[in-house]
Amino acid sequence: MDIIELNLIEMARRGDRSSLNELFSQHQRYIFNLTLQLTGDAARADDLTQETFLMAFRKLHSFRCQAGFRTWLSRIAINLFRLEFRRKPKHFSLCLDETRIPSHQDNPERVVIKRELQWCILHNLQQHLPAKYREVLVLRDIHHISYKEISEILGWTMSKTKTCLHRARQMFRQQFINNKCKAFADDYLCICEGILEL
Amino acid sequence: MYLRGDIRIMNCTEAKALFSEFYDGELNQEITQAVKEHLADCQECKEEYKNLKKSLKILKKLKILEVPRNYVSFNQER
Repeated sequence: MDIIELNLIEMARRGDRSSLNELFSQHQRYIFNLTLQLTGDAARADDLTQETFLMAFRKLHSFRCQAGFRTWLSRIAINLFRLEFRRKPKHFSLCLDETRIPSHQDNPERVVIKRELQWCILHNLQQHLPAKYREVLVLRDIHHISYKEISEILGWTMSKTKTCLHRARQMFRQQFINNKCKAFADDYLCICEGILEL
Repeated sequence: MYLRGDIRIMNCTEAKALFSEFYDGELNQEITQAVKEHLADCQECKEEYKNLKKSLKILKKLKILEVPRNYVSFNQER
């Protein structure tokens, strides 16, 4: 953990609200996207992000600085996700309108196709991967977090992290093959119609 | 896995089990070389590894969105 972050944590613990806000601000985009990719639902991601920061605020005094701050926040977010997932595991609503994409330079056709590709990826994550595989895949392949940090976030051994990541990637790949994605099947046009070069 | 001269030789099952770590550069030099040697010789594994890389390339196209609102303004509430 870097010295600036340590100072912010120390100041925040002493009640300095601007340090607290700065500390949390650095991670809110990451936490929102992490929970969105885990749930596939912008409203649930919004709730989970809010709950994560509220819980972090309440428990900041118990943070021991042994793990990085992002690791600690991620652990809170994922535990909240798991709790909610256990309560309503089958709930799923993924709307294309929720996958907002900056698109000023694109023509309308490409915007639609890109949006559909976003939906396709999120759909595969939500519908075809068990939660534990989704967690490890999102952390590693979207947020580029190291094996060591993933193990700390998920509370797994390094060996379990490697095994689960391997299986998650296999499963994710297999879904695109089964769905005859253009990238994998030259005689079939998927929704992106091969326009997006892969 | 066995040694042929100085080169470690692996079969398809062993190679496939290591694709994920190979992709991430997490293997040591010796094992990395053994996977490379296997991929150079085995068309089926080469195809499977290519598909793995393609699917992860798709995943990288998932956009990182801006937050819809500010979650961390704790000035007034507590």
